[in-house]
Amino acid sequence: MAQKEFSVVGKATPRIDGFERVTGKAEYTGDVQLPSMLCARVLRSPHPHAQILSIDTSKAEKLPGVKAIVHSFNTQVQWASGGLTQKRMIFNNPVRYVGDAVAAVAATDRYIAEDALELIDVKYEKLPYVLDAAAALKPDAPKIYPKGNLSVGDGRVTAPIKEEWGSVEKGFKEADKVFEDTYISKHVNNAQMERRVSVAKWDGAKLTVYASTQGISNARGDIAKALDLPLSRVRVICKYMGAGFGNKNQAQDYDMMAAVLSKATAQPVKLEFTREDDFIGMHGRWASEQHYKVGVKKDGTITAVELNAITNMGAYRKQSGDLTGCDFYNIPNYKKIVSPTHTNTVVAANYRAPAYPQSVYGFASMLDQIAFELGINPYDMFLKNRVRLSKGKSQFSSNAMEACIVEGAKRIGWQEKWHPPGASKGVKRHGIGMALGGYPFRLGLGAATIRVNRDATAHVIVGVVDIGTGAKSTMAIIASEALGIPLDQIQLASGDTDVTPYSIGESSSRTTSFTGTAVIAAAEDVRKQIFIIAAPELKAKPEELELKDGIVFLKADPTKKLPLAKAIHKVESEIIGRATTNPALPEGTDGKCFAAHFCEVEVDAFTGQVRLTRYVAAHDSGTIINRLTATSQVKGGVVQGLGMAFTEELLIDRPTAVPINPNYRDAKVPTHLEVPEIEVIFVDSYDPYGPFGGKPVGEPPITPSVATIANAIFNATGKRFKELPITPDKILRAVQV
Amino acid sequence: MKSFENIDPKSVKEAVGLLQKFASQKKDAAVVGGGSEYLQLMKVRVATPDYVVNLKTIPGLNYIKEDGAGFRIGALTTLSELEEHKGVQEKLLFLSQAAGEAASPQIRNAGTVAGNLCQRPFCWYFRSASHVCLRKGGEVCYSVAGDNRYHAILGGGPSYIVHPSDLAPALVALDAKIKIAGPAGEKTMPLEKFFVSPQVNARRENILGPADIVTEIQVPLPKSGSKGFYYKARERQAWDHAIVSVATVVQASGGAARDARVVLGGVAPVPWRAAKAEEFLRGKKIDDGAAQKAAEIALEGARPMKDNVYKVDLAKNLLRRALVASV
Repeated sequence: MAQKEFSVVGKATPRIDGFERVTGKAEYTGDVQLPSMLCARVLRSPHPHAQILSIDTSKAEKLPGVKAIVHSFNTQVQWASGGLTQKRMIFNNPVRYVGDAVAAVAATDRYIAEDALELIDVKYEKLPYVLDAAAALKPDAPKIYPKGNLSVGDGRVTAPIKEEWGSVEKGFKEADKVFEDTYISKHVNNAQMERRVSVAKWDGAKLTVYASTQGISNARGDIAKALDLPLSRVRVICKYMGAGFGNKNQAQDYDMMAAVLSKATAQPVKLEFTREDDFIGMHGRWASEQHYKVGVKKDGTITAVELNAITNMGAYRKQSGDLTGCDFYNIPNYKKIVSPTHTNTVVAANYRAPAYPQSVYGFASMLDQIAFELGINPYDMFLKNRVRLSKGKSQFSSNAMEACIVEGAKRIGWQEKWHPPGASKGVKRHGIGMALGGYPFRLGLGAATIRVNRDATAHVIVGVVDIGTGAKSTMAIIASEALGIPLDQIQLASGDTDVTPYSIGESSSRTTSFTGTAVIAAAEDVRKQIFIIAAPELKAKPEELELKDGIVFLKADPTKKLPLAKAIHKVESEIIGRATTNPALPEGTDGKCFAAHFCEVEVDAFTGQVRLTRYVAAHDSGTIINRLTATSQVKGGVVQGLGMAFTEELLIDRPTAVPINPNYRDAKVPTHLEVPEIEVIFVDSYDPYGPFGGKPVGEPPITPSVATIANAIFNATGKRFKELPITPDKILRAVQV
Repeated sequence: MKSFENIDPKSVKEAVGLLQKFASQKKDAAVVGGGSEYLQLMKVRVATPDYVVNLKTIPGLNYIKEDGAGFRIGALTTLSELEEHKGVQEKLLFLSQAAGEAASPQIRNAGTVAGNLCQRPFCWYFRSASHVCLRKGGEVCYSVAGDNRYHAILGGGPSYIVHPSDLAPALVALDAKIKIAGPAGEKTMPLEKFFVSPQVNARRENILGPADIVTEIQVPLPKSGSKGFYYKARERQAWDHAIVSVATVVQASGGAARDARVVLGGVAPVPWRAAKAEEFLRGKKIDDGAAQKAAEIALEGARPMKDNVYKVDLAKNLLRRALVASV
């Protein structure tokens, strides 16, 4: 593979802002304190579906300290990213789920704001409601929207989602055996550490929003559009961010609520969600019911796959609702119909690899089961059917899936440890499992500015927000490598729309490839200027020069050299390079990162408890820019998958339609004790189109983790669990001692 | 959280006096030790006290004293202190383990022994501000028609909460006593009698009156030749209450039980003493068969609901495991 020698890329580099983050010096949005700032809280609907007849705020207004109350009768602001296929406001009437925002109060402190919520008198007329997605599609189900509960398309998203190639009819005819089964996944919350929070303040006609966002540029765009402001009059700042995992993309309702409350009071307003708000007021991962029909040859080769599925999007359609777990297999004939469906429940949208882990769980369980039925070792089944062509036709820009499977299996000792499912007897039963995953690798719009000072230090200015992935460090590393200036000479400025250039948003695993590519181009721009300036100093032509580790030298004779500061000493101010890049993969080429995960479990047949004893994650993410943060990304993704496999599910009480576990304790998000040492392997890989050969690493790790664990539980017990999460009660019901 | 007045009394007597005064004024007053559990109720406004009486300012309530007969544990002793106490580890390892099974390290550093025994249910309907349940003065126990996967299989009705304490089953199995200070002075009673079944009163979990304060737990050493176990089944290895727990103390000689205490946690509104199983075990040679039979007897009369049937087998399995380990 065409790899080159790097100075800093590929090493394990501590985060450039790690010290600030772990010592409490980093100022997160929740830490922002402004003079005379008010605090706001949100009143939410107690009913799953109701028309609001009236809202009487007179008692609440009389409470000392209450400054403003906004609701659907006095505030009409559209939340564009809150509903792709419906006009969703920040306060809606009717309300469509328990948790739908009804009003927001700004007061001198949060406790007064909470007291005021209790004093708001809302008259509701209850409407019929539906909680279950399959029931919502029945003809006599209560209608949440006039056209019914199957979400409609709008050009950005479709419904139902259809994808087809080859001919499944032909594929099933060619099959020796056809298998059908249904797998169910549940709604789980992103559960990021930092709750949603926004601080808004107006200076005359200009609005500044300190946001906790995964994209300052699109947050600015959304807020400007919602409040009818020119882009120049909205400034969005996010210097440190405490994660979002996909549910802080764009601007959200609380940003607009803070802005209108601040406008109404002429004081800065901080609107911070409670943890319960966070679980029910925004969104989690869409639940799904996946029905598969899979045709295979006797040797396990897939001939056709048909997927019919329903995804539960809750009350509003914020995202696709798709299921894409078949992406990692070679399927000659494929047909998929996914029906995103509305119910009167908490909204479902993006959560780290939105359409993958639940779907990989379904399909990789299916393949693992077929392997069992055909008497094939799952390793051979997965290896044989691994994807070679994207969507049955396109080449990948790079594909090291085979290396992931081979190296991961070797590390965990698959051949020695695998045994027939259910062969482990007794109370403590050993199991081993595997599954394949990955995520699309795309190219697109990025922008960066680099300023090199006359003393040879540099500023890299990018619009990215470091959402916890280490993106600031990644950008600095890429800049250091591309410039030839040591990392410790580089300062990074990010996260302020008045200062930093456009960034598309730190989601969809694209920051490194989109903005990283622009940083490389901006560095090239700077280097050209440096070489022109340095050429006379070294008595050479610009094109004969090279810059590395802060030294400018002749490529042909590296002994002819000058430290960068000397080489550019005639510059009185600074050298500025900039780039806006928008590359694309060639027509007919698709990008993807790949992963193969393996784990071992121990099932206690007495208690139904499962302990994850070992985990190996092998990834093809091309060149690894920062081995330390990339490894952390893999571990974090696995842990989230572990929660989804074992414990997490947002429970909606059926008789009352109220979510009953919207908090860390009852949602049972994993703790450190659940997590074994996760062994991370990055296989040798180089993508010709990625920055320095790199591909994404943010979302891939969560994709195969749920299925890997589920398949290991099958191997341990001989029982297939077709509904998540796989809790002790389910295991106890299936396994007898 | 609703605003409240915090009071820092300097003595138990002062605290009891204040509580009496607030009760006579019909004010809602809460007694708080570590506060880790009560704070959660305040944050969701299920608890909205006018006064919070903070016991932490009372000197002399945090101790573990050992004499020949056993241990006396001050009410404000933290769970971590109990877990890490050398004497307790040496003589009552399973009690130390039970303390260590509770909550999370941070909560164990703040949470107290008395607080653990007096904690309110972790039923999700009880903890939800939107459900005015029987235990909060409402009409129904929402678990009956709702999601009852974690609710009671024994001793339930009309409320089906489970007692959440990890310490309580272990302490009841040890025949611990509880010392309570109140308007009429101090009294000491068996811990088993401290807990209140919902048939007696569905709105409280223990007998404490509005001006009563737990001051001490007394733990006698079990008879020589006894072995104790605390096993807890849970879905998450930290910060999770027992789905089912079992505490056993078996005095055995030559493989036969001379005496046995069997207490189940997570299955009933109170720590559930399985007296018939204890009786069955007395004098029996304990092998896997006898352990299974005892487990069957302990769960006789279990009335699971639609989502918690699994708890019956789980309790039997855990009990079987503990009893077999006892000899």
